[in-house]
Amino acid sequence: MNPSTPNPFVTNGKKSTCLEMLQVILDGEATDEQKKYFKQHMDNCMPCFKGYELDMAIKQLVKSKCCGGDAPAELVEQIRITISQKIS
Amino acid sequence: MAEETQEISQDVPQAHYSEKEKEEIFHGEFMPHINSMYNFGYRLTLDADDAKDLVQDTYLKAYRFINSFQKGTNAKAWLFRILKNSFINDYRKKSKEPNKVDYQEVETYYNSEDVDRQITPDLRVEALKDMIGDEISNALNSLDVDFRTVIILCDLEGFKYEEMAKILDIPIGTVRSRLHRARQLLKEKLSTYAKSMGYKNTNV
Repeated sequence: MNPSTPNPFVTNGKKSTCLEMLQVILDGEATDEQKKYFKQHMDNCMPCFKGYELDMAIKQLVKSKCCGGDAPAELVEQIRITISQKIS
Repeated sequence: MAEETQEISQDVPQAHYSEKEKEEIFHGEFMPHINSMYNFGYRLTLDADDAKDLVQDTYLKAYRFINSFQKGTNAKAWLFRILKNSFINDYRKKSKEPNKVDYQEVETYYNSEDVDRQITPDLRVEALKDMIGDEISNALNSLDVDFRTVIILCDLEGFKYEEMAKILDIPIGTVRSRLHRARQLLKEKLSTYAKSMGYKNTNV
């Protein structure tokens, strides 16, 4: 990596660890500059590469398995009735 | 009442909506989030009846304090914050289980130099592919409620750190560290499942 490229992960003069970078990337909180930096970094950092793969897989799995279905119809109905009584 | 007001408003200017506007906001902006709200309520209480009560309660509060909601702002985050606060005030108090999370410890842990050298549970992507049943859901539910909450908000609902900080009334730094620790714990659980499913603990 070009040593003159400033590290966009420095906050308060402290460099982020791999794990901290990974989390920012994973959660879509990274700036374009950070994404670019991380992509280059990941090519040379096996723990980051593996960590990224695994964490991304878990994140997607959590989303697909834990979102639940629709709220119970009677709950929706109950709320609608209660509110419409308040409105009228 | 003072406590309830605390739950809802964040010193925001009060709107003066007409009855018709209230109805439009309620049905147009609040009700579309009912499924996410129910799932959040269920994941917090881990009980279908409690979840229904909690969600119904939250929606009634949201209507009662609708003038604290600013049109054009994030209705989902506003509702989630009310639900979370209702849960803390009405459900957690009743529960005998003490709050087990030592935040000081979490912060220290995350900020320590050792954070990159910690023993990461050996878990492989391939092992996850076989977790097609309730393993993930059970692992999530087994986490302490504060850790469960940040994963739900971030990974299930896609809230940004800043929104999570507002929903939970904690600094962004705490959001990050809590999320980090929560994922670590989730991985440990999943790693245990993987082992019981016959995946060897080799790092290939």
